[in-house]
Amino acid sequence: MHVSRRWLARHCAFLQNIDAAELARELSLSTCEVEGVQRFAPALSDVTIGFVAERAPHPDSDHLSLTKVDVGSGELLQIVCGAPNVAQGQKVAVATIGTTLPGDFKIKKSKIRGVESQGMICSERELGLGDEHNGIWVLPSDAQVGKRVAEALDLVDWVLEIDNKSLTHRPDLWGHRGIARELAAIYGKTLEPLASALPAQGNAKPYAVRVESEKCSRYLALPIDGVKTGRSPEWMRHLLLAVGQRPIELLVDLSNFVMLDLGQPNHLFDRARLRGEPIVVRQARAAERMQTLDGVERNLVTTDLLICAGENPVALAGVMGGEQSKVGAETRELLLEVASFDPACVRRTSSRLGLRTDASARFEKNLSPTLALEATGHLVNLLRELQPEIKLPAPLTDAGKWKDPARKISLRTDVVRRRLGVNVEQLSDAKIVEILQRLELRCEGRDGVLTVDIPSIRATKDLTIEQDLVEEVGRIFRYGNVPEARLEGSLAPPPPDAKRVLVRKLEDRLAGVGRFRQTLSYSFVADASLAKLGLSELPHSSVINPVAEGLTRIRRGVAPSLLAPLEPNRRHSKDVRLFEIGKGYSPDGANEPREVHELALVIAREPSAANAKFDDNAFAFLRGAVDDVCFALRLEAPTYTKLARVDGAPYLHPGKTLAVRIGEREIGWLAALDPRVERELGLAGELKSDVALATLSLDALVATPTREKIYRSLPRFPGVKIDVALALPTGVAAEDVRVALERAGKGLARDIELFDVYTGPNAGPGRKSLAYHVYLESDERTLTDQDSQKFLQRVEREATTLGGELRKA
Amino acid sequence: MTETLESLFEPIRLRIAAAESDDDLRRIERETLDKGGAVAALLAGIPTLPPTERPLTGKRANELKGAIQAGLAEAKERLALRAVERERLGEGFDATLPGARPTRGGLHPLVAVTRELEDLFTSMGYVVLDGPEIESDENNFQLLNIPPDHPARDAQDTFRCDADGKFVLRTHTSPGQVRALKERVVPAIRAGTFAPPFRAIVPGKVFRQETTDASHEHTFHQMEGLVVGKDISVGHLIGAMKTLLRGVFGREIEVRLRPGYFPFVEPGFELDARCPFCKEGCSVCKRSTWIELLPCGLVHPNVLRNCGVDPEVWSGFAFGLGLSRLVMLRYGIDDVRLLLSGDLRFLEQF
Ligand SMILES: [Zn+2]
Repeated sequence: MHVSRRWLARHCAFLQNIDAAELARELSLSTCEVEGVQRFAPALSDVTIGFVAERAPHPDSDHLSLTKVDVGSGELLQIVCGAPNVAQGQKVAVATIGTTLPGDFKIKKSKIRGVESQGMICSERELGLGDEHNGIWVLPSDAQVGKRVAEALDLVDWVLEIDNKSLTHRPDLWGHRGIARELAAIYGKTLEPLASALPAQGNAKPYAVRVESEKCSRYLALPIDGVKTGRSPEWMRHLLLAVGQRPIELLVDLSNFVMLDLGQPNHLFDRARLRGEPIVVRQARAAERMQTLDGVERNLVTTDLLICAGENPVALAGVMGGEQSKVGAETRELLLEVASFDPACVRRTSSRLGLRTDASARFEKNLSPTLALEATGHLVNLLRELQPEIKLPAPLTDAGKWKDPARKISLRTDVVRRRLGVNVEQLSDAKIVEILQRLELRCEGRDGVLTVDIPSIRATKDLTIEQDLVEEVGRIFRYGNVPEARLEGSLAPPPPDAKRVLVRKLEDRLAGVGRFRQTLSYSFVADASLAKLGLSELPHSSVINPVAEGLTRIRRGVAPSLLAPLEPNRRHSKDVRLFEIGKGYSPDGANEPREVHELALVIAREPSAANAKFDDNAFAFLRGAVDDVCFALRLEAPTYTKLARVDGAPYLHPGKTLAVRIGEREIGWLAALDPRVERELGLAGELKSDVALATLSLDALVATPTREKIYRSLPRFPGVKIDVALALPTGVAAEDVRVALERAGKGLARDIELFDVYTGPNAGPGRKSLAYHVYLESDERTLTDQDSQKFLQRVEREATTLGGELRKA
Repeated sequence: MTETLESLFEPIRLRIAAAESDDDLRRIERETLDKGGAVAALLAGIPTLPPTERPLTGKRANELKGAIQAGLAEAKERLALRAVERERLGEGFDATLPGARPTRGGLHPLVAVTRELEDLFTSMGYVVLDGPEIESDENNFQLLNIPPDHPARDAQDTFRCDADGKFVLRTHTSPGQVRALKERVVPAIRAGTFAPPFRAIVPGKVFRQETTDASHEHTFHQMEGLVVGKDISVGHLIGAMKTLLRGVFGREIEVRLRPGYFPFVEPGFELDARCPFCKEGCSVCKRSTWIELLPCGLVHPNVLRNCGVDPEVWSGFAFGLGLSRLVMLRYGIDDVRLLLSGDLRFLEQF
């Protein structure tokens, strides 16, 4: 909302002399958020009042004039002017050479059709005064030549831009008078009285109004006769322009002016167009339609509230008037409507139609029905000042079952101090009473208990309970006067938080030893991504109002989020290692969706060379990383078993998917990416990648018992290190070989490390070669060559059992 | 046997003295001590000598062998020392050669900052709580004193999950207050184990249905804070916020409270911090020297009551810190969309 200082000063003259930036600061600290302060039409301070001394046609043009203008500089300026209305003897606004007009338009000396022009005679639009552009702006004849336009015509004004959100709870601040009241309280001044008493009315029959819906608590209707339409007075035009309202025509402008002045929307019907039909306020019927005055045909629903003339809808209550009954140039008889509508009802209609108007914004804040009467009188009085000949033929109709919301709230001064954190020296009872009175909150009472009168305009919403009054006192007292205080309480540490500890360990281990980059992703997964991953058919939680089409669904798990960025990242990086700890959701009928909390990891790297070591690939790295985090978490070493598929993860390699278990508990899965999906994700050609991914459930991990590390005494006898190479059929699993070697070690094999897997042609058809470092060690004696020999003999036998043989080194 | 040891050894000694490398020494060793060498020749001649000369010649041969071995060992040591000295010259050393390029992992900047704040708050006895991203309308709005059709819902640009309006993507971490009150505070009060002041923070992801650009994002991170106890006041709130800022910026930062409207607090504030980056206005503070940092306030009595806490007995304060914004401020990130982009070129900078 824009607020003009000049406008505020109509209600509290003192404000005209306060620097606008200071007003902004004071409002910010006590009332609402001021987003900016701007000078109104700054160009007006740069242009000069000129007198058109001569005017002649341009020698070379039919529509240009050649003028000589006196700007008080002692010599006449020759200015070429294209406006049809320029004439000798006018006072005009002149932008001389060097002036910059709105739109960064700098006036330079120029030649127009061969004739030199030493400036420009401006139109209102060129000066930022609305969009009037039917020629130059002709100033009053008494304007003083040579003066700046803004100062001479008293058009200096400043505009405060107030954040509407910060006024959500303050229906009373949606007009200038409310803001002025607030500033008066801050400065300890009083507000000018408002001339809102209704002038005498004739004794014709009051206009018939029937309120059929309780969504309209008050409906005031007043016929006004003998009005004229036309241009609004300059002062009103300028105030409207200052707050960003386009002046249109007197009656429309006046209606807007009263709304922006008091915050009470109102409506003017051309009474002739109502054809004497009574006003009926009712809910819309199913499938009913009406045309609003923006020319749009609206489909209505039964929760909409209508103002009808007899049967015909003439306004969408609280939102917008109708096309048929709007005032026009020929309007002479008005029906003024000032009403109070149910905030939720207005809000629902305006949200549904996407029709947020100045009126709906105010009604939905819950205006006091008492304000309607005040606004009625104010509008009539303003109109009568401009057109003294108007008549009020009939008494005001006041329909509806309204109640005055004014109330009393009991306030304990001690509660004020305790909530703010101040003592009685800092904020005495007397000071509290003084602050309340400045805010027009009358109060009485003793022994620290006040009964506070809440005026109607503050009582609909904002001031309901005692704590609301704590805020009233606090904001005028100023929170900056509240001293900093420290919490006091028990020093007992909060209970341990196993999951958070787990998450931290995972993060540190993976970002450290694991050399993974942590990422965080959106919870939304694009339909296109889901399709690529084969997830489209799975039920997903979703939103019904997405930011973009195809972005409705919420991820069921974290892993899919890591796959989308692989392709762009692989363009810049040969080795992409990402992890994310996050949540996924799946729908559960009408219940709260089921939540999973997961760690997902992915490695995508350039495919290894054909002769690369057996563990030089994404899958092996990732498996090593999973082993390592389990180690870091002090869990038992995980075991891996082949899975045909993982439910909900159809993007995994059908032959390279493993379940990860700790003991009996399944904690997640580890897999290569399905090569088909890899292609779908654009990981082909130059970006062909070796991709492995894994997901571990945090809930499973946190439920898995940990084991403290136990120290083992250092070996007392030296052991022996033996390298063995086994030639085996390709089908033999490495794990079976490891078990065989352990058996051959007869309890002495302290470590068995696979260091080479050879499957090349030299292994022979259907054969492979596995090579191990085996470390034998005994707690009882020094091992000898004989022990090695016996071990090798046993290995030889084991190899035979596995269908292969021990290769001699 | 007329030749003395000296005459036998002298030519070899000269060769050893001239040796320039271990290879030279090995050659001398081979030619003198191996088959066909000087010592071998001496020994080979023994059977042809008269028996009386044989012992002497044998002795000579052994002496010569010993002398050669000693000479070689001494030369080897000399060469080794010389090599050490040469190494010590550091010839050809390029002081500007880069180190081996490390592969690094790293935490996401949002996580890094969240962890810092968690550490700061837990050190002051706060617990860290968690809540779901898909929240009930009840927790996200109604219990927070935002009934249906309340205009404050406008400011929230809510993603709705169903037409009945039962579930939404949480628009703020404030439902964390509701959960903390219902799940922690109320049970503790009932059980008689409540040790005020209860202190909690709730970091998490939040959602707003809004068009994205460099400074707007439909998904971002916040951290809610809640303190509940006896006579918790605005003064306590100011104290807690100053402590937070001291933790974040490592020095005293001036703050100010302005009225701000949030239906779940009363009074509600916007907390501004004196711009830590300038003295006279900069682009970060939009020339105002104040940075709007967080909304906060005293917990609205209705919220306490809605969650089963008696507002006549207990009061509290709450605040909502924009983590995404704080991270952007901290690192000078100019596009909020980078935070959740998964772009390694971004992530690798931290
Ligand atoms: Zn600054």
